Amino acid sequence: MTEYLETTVDKFIFRVATDRVYSREGLWALAEGSRVRIGLTDFLQQRSGDIAFAEVEPVGTSLSAGDEVAAIETIKVNVILPSPIGGRVVEANPSMATSPEVVNQDPYGQGWLAVIEADAWGTDQGKLLSPQAYLEVMRGEAEEEARKL
Amino acid sequence: MSESRRKVVVVPCSGIGKTYGTVSREAAFELTENLRPETTQVVPLSLLVLGDEASRAAVAGNPAVTIDGCKLACATKMVKESGGKILQDYAVLDVYRRYKQFKPQGIAELNEGGQKLAGALAGEIASLVDGLDPDGEGEQNA
Repeated sequence: MTEYLETTVDKFIFRVATDRVYSREGLWALAEGSRVRIGLTDFLQQRSGDIAFAEVEPVGTSLSAGDEVAAIETIKVNVILPSPIGGRVVEANPSMATSPEVVNQDPYGQGWLAVIEADAWGTDQGKLLSPQAYLEVMRGEAEEEARKL
Repeated sequence: MSESRRKVVVVPCSGIGKTYGTVSREAAFELTENLRPETTQVVPLSLLVLGDEASRAAVAGNPAVTIDGCKLACATKMVKESGGKILQDYAVLDVYRRYKQFKPQGIAELNEGGQKLAGALAGEIASLVDGLDPDGEGEQNA
């Protein structure tokens, strides 16, 4: 069972799963053998709002870390999502086409975006943040946004 | 149409400063003022929240359609709390998913996409209302 770090900012509670690593942009990466599953963090989905549409790059697409892997349109914003790792998309979550709200409901589980056959997971992994480190980054951004309210 | 026929109550989101809330209200006004003024009426959510007797009586005594601007679903919850019978609850986000070409923007004034989305939603509700049995308790005709 996935465990979580948790922090509260203003009236919002944000969770960070402890079994994966994170990009500063708010995407997680979870290794599954030679493949890596990726998705949005709880913070990013809450900050973005309810998702109306999500489009993931098609299977077979080759990406470098930082390339667009998906785009979401929410009730508030359009967000381009940069891939946290390089590799080839081998699976795209079919739920993104039919019920993208699953990202809001279960960002670390059923709301995954894609599975990527990583080119250099070892190298990419080293550039990503630990759960604790991402929690601190995320908390800083959340507090900054709360001050603007 | 019978004078005594009950009007379907439409309760839109009261969210101020939110695009989807505006879409919900514009849809309600389009329906009740232009498309089906004889068979529908708006009840403001704010009056229900304040406990306005006439509004609560209207909701309790007529079939209701709710239009929520976000997942908090305040309109639907409040109608239920007021003893209303909900024929159909709409969420603007779900409606937008059916009309992706109508991207709503703006708050005080909706863009063209938002106006078209509100019009499409009003049209859906009008069809729902047209299918009701005028002598029934809000059931749709088979």
